[in-house]
Amino acid sequence: MTSERILCPVCQVAFPLKEEKVPGKRVVCPVCGAVLVLEKGDASWVLRRPQDITPEEEIRARVENFARLRGYRFNEMKEPLIEALLKKYERYGDFYCPCKIDNIPENICPCLETRQGSVERNGRCHCGLFWK
Amino acid sequence: MKSVMLYALSTCPFCKMAKRFFESRNIPYNFVDVDLLPEEEKEKTVAEVQRISGRRAFPVIVIGEEVIVGYDELRIREALEK
Repeated sequence: MTSERILCPVCQVAFPLKEEKVPGKRVVCPVCGAVLVLEKGDASWVLRRPQDITPEEEIRARVENFARLRGYRFNEMKEPLIEALLKKYERYGDFYCPCKIDNIPENICPCLETRQGSVERNGRCHCGLFWK
Repeated sequence: MKSVMLYALSTCPFCKMAKRFFESRNIPYNFVDVDLLPEEEKEKTVAEVQRISGRRAFPVIVIGEEVIVGYDELRIREALEK
């Protein structure tokens, strides 16, 4: 059985969704850890960011999921960074990396270089949120 | 004493740690929170940061001639002592 690929609206990566498709079902993106909601679009199934949780709940769930998926850990930098990500969300409308000037999709946490393995190479992500 | 310049973002915890590092040791330093600059000055400063560090990420610390990208306490200490 081939599973349909479905686009994560956070990291913009399409991943195979093997589970049964039910409207409103919560799905975790296996690439970035985002918590998403399954919906029936016009032509196919789509994933959207949940509207029924607070920004803080959303980013906390995402970073926890990402760390679990990759086997990374946190330290005392975590809380200041969650606060900083929320500040970025308030100011610029999304969870852009607090240590990068450009508020662009590739810098949405976990940012592209982190998703592409910078923690493996450097022992931590640039900001110090995720540690090996 | 070597001149110390810290390019920072107001949202970046490692930038705050760098400020605390210099302040707690009474090391004179200049800093700029690049994200809080007016637009034109911000673009100019980011271009300067990118020229010296090759990145658009913070903190960038310049001690004398040495450019340190990211908060690396050991490298900061070494650069100050050189």
